[in-house]
Amino acid sequence: RLASAPYPQMASATDSRYGQKESSDQNFDYMFKILIIGNSSVGKTSFLFRYADDSFTPAFVSTVGIDFKVKTIYRNDKRIKLQIWDTAGQERYRTITTAYYRGAMGFILMYDITNEESFNAVQDWSTQIKTYSWDNAQVLLVGNKCDMEDERVVSSERGRQLADHLGFEFFEASAKDNINVKQTFERLVDVICEKMSESLDTADPAVTGAKQGPQLTDQQAPPHQDCAC
Amino acid sequence: MAQEVNLNSLKDLEREVILQVLYRDQAVQNVEEERIRKLKTHLQHLRWKGAKSTNQDYREKSCARCQRALGLLLNRGAVCRGCSYRVCAQCRVFLRKTHAWKCTVCFEDRNVKIKSGQWFFEERAKKFPTEGKHRTAGAKLLQSYQKPSKISVVPPTPPPHSENQCGSQTGLQELGQFKGFNKSVENLFLSVTTHMKKLSKSQNDMTSDKHHLATGHRQSKGRSERRSQSDTAINVTTRKVSSPDILKSLNQEDSKHSPDPVSKQQDSSSNPAARPLFSGELRHGSLISINSTCTEMGNFDNANVTGEIEFAIRYCFKTHSLEICIKACKNLAYGEEKKKKCNPYIKIYLLPDRSSQGKRKTRVQKNTTDPIFQETLKLNISADTSIFLQAPVNQWQTNNWAQGNFKNQVVLLNFYDYRRGILSNIKLYDLLKAETCEDSVPHNNGELALRAKLVLPSGPRKLPEAQEGTDDQPPLNGQLCLVVLGAKNLPVRSDGTLNSFVKGCLTLPNQQKLRLKSPVLKKQACPQWKHSFVFSGVTTSQLRQSSLELTVWDQAIFGMNDRLLGGARLGSKEEPASGTDSCSPSKLQWQKVLSNPNLWTDMTLVLH
Repeated sequence: RLASAPYPQMASATDSRYGQKESSDQNFDYMFKILIIGNSSVGKTSFLFRYADDSFTPAFVSTVGIDFKVKTIYRNDKRIKLQIWDTAGQERYRTITTAYYRGAMGFILMYDITNEESFNAVQDWSTQIKTYSWDNAQVLLVGNKCDMEDERVVSSERGRQLADHLGFEFFEASAKDNINVKQTFERLVDVICEKMSESLDTADPAVTGAKQGPQLTDQQAPPHQDCAC
Repeated sequence: MAQEVNLNSLKDLEREVILQVLYRDQAVQNVEEERIRKLKTHLQHLRWKGAKSTNQDYREKSCARCQRALGLLLNRGAVCRGCSYRVCAQCRVFLRKTHAWKCTVCFEDRNVKIKSGQWFFEERAKKFPTEGKHRTAGAKLLQSYQKPSKISVVPPTPPPHSENQCGSQTGLQELGQFKGFNKSVENLFLSVTTHMKKLSKSQNDMTSDKHHLATGHRQSKGRSERRSQSDTAINVTTRKVSSPDILKSLNQEDSKHSPDPVSKQQDSSSNPAARPLFSGELRHGSLISINSTCTEMGNFDNANVTGEIEFAIRYCFKTHSLEICIKACKNLAYGEEKKKKCNPYIKIYLLPDRSSQGKRKTRVQKNTTDPIFQETLKLNISADTSIFLQAPVNQWQTNNWAQGNFKNQVVLLNFYDYRRGILSNIKLYDLLKAETCEDSVPHNNGELALRAKLVLPSGPRKLPEAQEGTDDQPPLNGQLCLVVLGAKNLPVRSDGTLNSFVKGCLTLPNQQKLRLKSPVLKKQACPQWKHSFVFSGVTTSQLRQSSLELTVWDQAIFGMNDRLLGGARLGSKEEPASGTDSCSPSKLQWQKVLSNPNLWTDMTLVLH
């Protein structure tokens, strides 16, 4: 891999050309909403811009509150429109960002492998998800900036262990070098799809479609969420 | 969890940025809702197709979906596990890789659940039973945010000039947009003037916001450009939210927001970045924008305002844009008197608008009170959706970045006929202080002189040209006679003349409209029509609840739309804009007409 220059604090690809298409395209089968969370400057915005625009800017601009991008992908014979929400890591925006947890089907919880503190905060973020999101929220733990091997302070092993402990899947990725970015999102889409099928096919008495309401069905324990909170 | 989420705790500029995101999200949601609606309609059709009338015994004997008869031994059908109806073999869909099946409707229902995300909402409802299904966090935020703007919209009266139509398919829409335009302009401006003081309180935090912005700027040029674009809009809205008293007073005026197509540009942050950035993604209500204007104006309450500005304006049909060529300013006041600093730039808005597409501004000229801009700002305006516009050109001064102070609200171009596509001569306009400017708004379209008389049955008989609306009225009714004498100080064409005519529209309490029109007087800047309008079949009591609108027009050449030069309204719905006091001269005169039947009353109306 390329020897990377000192990793910029955080990337924020910033351009004003949000696709006009994002709002007008109806040509998809379904829409998933995904939230990216994690400490400030771990690279959430960069990660999103890499995925959505395949762009990367080393400059760091902290996200104000929330932002999103839309990307339509083809996966499992379906066109899936992803509305990916990028959140501000800073504490002061917390009330706004947490408001979005509830609408998200899946999460990317990110830390920076060169930043111990961001890793230590993962547990807290996980708690936030448990608190504010639905019970089957799918979470991927992502250790970003894995191109900066020289400055690594969080080993892959620790990341994996924590992910196991929390019941999340785990990736190390680099928005800068475009490592595992696409894979992360696609994996998340897949697990959401799985969850969707599960939800529809097991707890299905409501399938008459007559009325939906709070269902009395058994609430399945989420298979891999054994967070110790 | 139950905490109210709103944007109130944020700084203005942050709110601005977030608001922009929310609007984008809203657009996405709208598409999504539309898609889901279609899905559900489809499902509904499928259900109906299989629906049986209740008097049929459908339990065992026929398929619940296709209604084909089921046999006793062969083709008995089977019960769908989803809906518990018995369906035939053809109406089953096997789920992928399983032997499980569902009937067509249950299958489609499942599909819809997937495609609409219904499955998610149902799952989520297990944990948050009270959560509304489709309302997103963004929608809530927006709603909490937009509450105030509701008031902003409602043109009280119908359009005085429906005759004027361009036969395009957008005609109707256009008409709608035309309605109440005058009125809304007045109202909006009124509200601005009235509330300026209150708003100005917030000056301090605004300054600090600028500071904030400035910091961001140094860090990343690209990003802050994008942000700064929306900075002000937020200010605007914010203020609105934070000052309930504004709302109150706005409510009092039955201000209506005409759905004017013209978008108003509003960008404000003093952005030193080399070039302004227009994304056109902003969608703010015009009232918001207007308030923004006024908020900012609050900031230079105490400032001196001097100077002049030179600019020209034209409409370019090719690009559908209004081009404003700003040449220079002279003798500006210092933004900061003590330090003798002045870094001016010009911002333009279109007022009023609803579908704000932004605003435009020039580069900042550093350290000069006689800046030369030589810039052409373009506003995209569709020629067939907008009829006329107001384009105040604002000139702001920034002291320095971190502490951007605004000054000098400026020139208002009223009802400029940009359709003519001619580059107007570069003209010099005096810069006015904001308030003055506001005051002047309603006054700069000239005056209309007329005589009016209410003719009651005892009085003289009908005048010859009673044109409409008389037949079905009982004979007791009177006539309202008007003689439109002439007008002066009208906004003339670039050649100094007008082909003007007057339209009169009497709106009765039942919303019936009586319309009359004068002949066209060609090539006169101060037309003297001496034309009489007679509205027959009206009673005094009706008139007291009626409103009369008189509008002066410039007849267009080559089938283009006539240009509205100005209008005035008399009667019950008279604008508060002509003075918050209920005793404006025209109102008094109108009352005089009504209370002195059969006597002529002379009056001069200020055209707005």
